[in-house]
Amino acid sequence: MSNNILFVVQRPPYKSENPKLAITHAMSCYTADIHIDEPVEPTLAYVGDGVLNCIRDQRSQDIYGLISTEQHIKVQLSGDMKILVCKEDIERLGIKEERLVDGKDLGAEAGLNVVPFKEILKEMEICDHLMFF
Amino acid sequence: MKLGIFYSDLRGNHDMLFRLKGEKIGVFLVGNGIYHATIKEKGEPSPILQKKEIDYYVLSEDLSTRGFSTDEVDSDIKVITYSDLTDLIMNDYDKLAWL
Repeated sequence: MSNNILFVVQRPPYKSENPKLAITHAMSCYTADIHIDEPVEPTLAYVGDGVLNCIRDQRSQDIYGLISTEQHIKVQLSGDMKILVCKEDIERLGIKEERLVDGKDLGAEAGLNVVPFKEILKEMEICDHLMFF
Repeated sequence: MKLGIFYSDLRGNHDMLFRLKGEKIGVFLVGNGIYHATIKEKGEPSPILQKKEIDYYVLSEDLSTRGFSTDEVDSDIKVITYSDLTDLIMNDYDKLAWL
């Protein structure tokens, strides 16, 4: 039996720790399964203003000494975590897909999955646990 | 009154911003306030930018942190550094508010 956990991020980055916690919790799933002796499969979904977390070229490390959300996303992409981004929300905010993070420099084969909101709703239906950030 | 207003949210208190009056009003877009200077939601500029009598500034460090460059900022908004911000609040404004 596996535990599918969907982490939904709905807030923009940096103002609070909340959106960053979603991705660090998702990252921790890969070690959690060692302790509970069951596979844990995390998925991240960025919706609403949360899609702003996925813009590339974030320089928080240079300016504030903070690991950027972009760096976290890249590492997870290179580890093949499934990461969804709401298509309607990037369009609403005027963000083109080429402005989004990819993990190619870290060897990630797949990038962010830009999908309609109905796909994210489907993920909410099939997951075992749903967490909103 | 010369009033400098810090604005640090994407979904903030627009009503209060427009109720504040003074002989000089400056809005400093910092933190997540920078999205007002860069994002055109549904193709439209942010409603907080509609007041022509307000001087708008955006903090370059917070733009870069969030993946934006100065080229992406609306031309009516002045891009400033922390050092510029310090000069502005010390020299140009009597009072400061954070919305």
